[in-house]
Amino acid sequence: MRRNLVRALALLIAMGTAVAHAEPYVPDSDTVILAELPAGAHYADLAARRLARGRLDVALPLAQFYIQQSRLSGDLRFLGYADAVLAPWLEHRPAAVDALVLHATVQQSRHEFEPALATLELALAARPFDPQASLTKATILRVLGRYPEATLACDQFARSVDASLAALCSQSVRGLDGHLDAAYAALLQVSSQGWLNTEKSWLYSELGEMAVRLGRDDEARRWFQRDLDLLPGDVYVRTAYADLLLRQGLDAEALDLLRGMESFEPLLLRIAIAQQRLHDPALAQSSARLQVAFSVELQRGEAVHRREQARFLLEVEHQPLLALAAARENWTVQREPEDILVLVAAARAAGNLDAAEPALKFVRSTGLTDARLTAAR
Amino acid sequence: MSLSHGLGMIRRALGVLTLLAAAPIAQAHIASNGFLSLEVERAHITGALELAIRDGELAVGLDRDRDGKVSWGELRAAQSALQSYVGSHLRLLGAEGPCTLSVGAVQVNQRVDGAYLWLPIAADCGREFARLRIDYSLLREEDPSHRGLLTLRAHAVVQTAVLGDTAGARAFDLDDPSPWEAIGEYLRAGVWHIWSGIDHLLFLLSLLLPAVLLREHGHWRPVPRARPAFMSILKIVTAFTLAHSLTLSLAAFDVVRLPSRLTESAIAASIIAAALNNVFPVFTESRARIAFAFGLLHGFGFASVLADMGLPHGARLLSLLAFNLGIETGQLAVVLLVMPAVYCFRKQLLYRRTVLPWGSAAIATLALVWLVQRAFFPS
Repeated sequence: MRRNLVRALALLIAMGTAVAHAEPYVPDSDTVILAELPAGAHYADLAARRLARGRLDVALPLAQFYIQQSRLSGDLRFLGYADAVLAPWLEHRPAAVDALVLHATVQQSRHEFEPALATLELALAARPFDPQASLTKATILRVLGRYPEATLACDQFARSVDASLAALCSQSVRGLDGHLDAAYAALLQVSSQGWLNTEKSWLYSELGEMAVRLGRDDEARRWFQRDLDLLPGDVYVRTAYADLLLRQGLDAEALDLLRGMESFEPLLLRIAIAQQRLHDPALAQSSARLQVAFSVELQRGEAVHRREQARFLLEVEHQPLLALAAARENWTVQREPEDILVLVAAARAAGNLDAAEPALKFVRSTGLTDARLTAAR
Repeated sequence: MSLSHGLGMIRRALGVLTLLAAAPIAQAHIASNGFLSLEVERAHITGALELAIRDGELAVGLDRDRDGKVSWGELRAAQSALQSYVGSHLRLLGAEGPCTLSVGAVQVNQRVDGAYLWLPIAADCGREFARLRIDYSLLREEDPSHRGLLTLRAHAVVQTAVLGDTAGARAFDLDDPSPWEAIGEYLRAGVWHIWSGIDHLLFLLSLLLPAVLLREHGHWRPVPRARPAFMSILKIVTAFTLAHSLTLSLAAFDVVRLPSRLTESAIAASIIAAALNNVFPVFTESRARIAFAFGLLHGFGFASVLADMGLPHGARLLSLLAFNLGIETGQLAVVLLVMPAVYCFRKQLLYRRTVLPWGSAAIATLALVWLVQRAFFPS
């Protein structure tokens, strides 16, 4: 049944792509602007890439720049550019450890979690106390719901960073495996003095997410707001913040928060949900763009936005059966609290609560607590 | 998931997307894709290749004045560079090796995620061929995550594929991809469905169990000879087969469609009716008619299985026949297995007084549970 649903979904999506383009045309004038090129996407930049082939000290910052560009803009092409820069250094024997760590970051951004873990193992074998490698490892294991292993990775991380950063890593896992109250209290005590903005932002986002799971929505709002004041480009927190507003029924406020962020599929999804609730005619456009983005992903066999696909089908298209198929598929890839929520919601809407049993079993066995889940059940 | 469901959604999606085509759109950031559509007609291939303007920039450098924007004038000026880039990164190979590729004048296509450059393609492959090989290496150097999304049309069959994930050429068989294999699959699916879909079997059994008996003066009596029993079984099975084949075909070709909740519930109800008729006989001589009437319903049930599988283009009728043949084979196997035994037992009092009524009552109870589940708690 499930395979059939996914097949139906794929069929739908393929048809979506088939009609998504109009007829080709010849523009009226030579001055018509067809596209703007973002930084790092110029033909001239290829010279730097050629240089990077022979010089690791050029390759690493360039790859880092591309990964950063991808995070700031939501543009997946930059991950491909990072691949191109890193590729020769991965073939090197022995492979450059820093190149491996960046490669794992690219894989993680594409939600290729198992391959990313394998890459990180190679890096950690060569350099056991690389802080970035152990932190990325902890993050991935957390997303996969493998909390004991994530804790071990945080321990490894702790050996190369200061105590408060180490606490941030380990408490964020404790906040999921049944010790939410204690973890939140512990993080409130963490001193972020002298931290970089990115590190502070990490702290605020963990606090915000914990507050959400504790059901303290007002506190969560304050943490998210604080994070965005510090780093307006933090797409991850903006997404979480938008979800909070949507859950509270503050649809217009959510739309305000997301204005101009349409190029990020996860944010575009929240925009579409808000537009739908507000009967905004712009929904047709947002919805079509999401369809095309999802269709291309499905055609390419990628799983970057499975959670968003499920929510799109559930909350925008109102197709609970298809949404359930997507949510189940997503559950095989990642296991964050939001993945549980979308699976439970889709199962409920489809009148098939049994389908959410794997996620509920996961909740029971890990001790995960989440006020949203209690409310949903 | 019924087919009608899926189609409804597709129609809605089409509506939304057509509406959008005219509106100006900001860029969305999906991964890099080239769209390659090819149509094969004997020795010739025609089609088009589309690349995002951004990808064109990385391939040959479009932004001459380096102002960070690509204008139509700049794109036009790069036409010959683009043509030779495509010529060296896209190879089509027919029976006689590489086809002669020519790339036409550049145009623009507006897609949902931004403007694409559009290049018409024509290729001459010497003589007709049954296998096309495509070597797609566009942007492999510049962006290893770039993929070519291929739509290949040949002999009215459409194939789609993702190109560029591995080095070297990929081969596509232009003949209908082995129809016999597909037909075998549908045959197996039919057999499997009748055996695993126990509801159809229970319905048939409810009608067949009394076929070795005669109803006289309110009592069951064994038929004296094999022939009337055989004829009765034959009539019932034939009626059931004719009826479900009819509705299966109608549903498979989208002539008639019923919601699956309704048909599944009605199938459960049909089993209750057929089984109860053995406990409290009403129709004793016209079970073939019951088999026909309710068989129509069961056909819709088979159709929903087929809808989940989908019928392959080009081999719709054959696949439908194979699926139906599978159902009949599975059904016949059960009849041949069960009925001789039932025939041997027909003279036993145990069969007439216990097995028939209580077995039928058990079937009716089970079907009642299904009915409640399917009607009120559909999954």
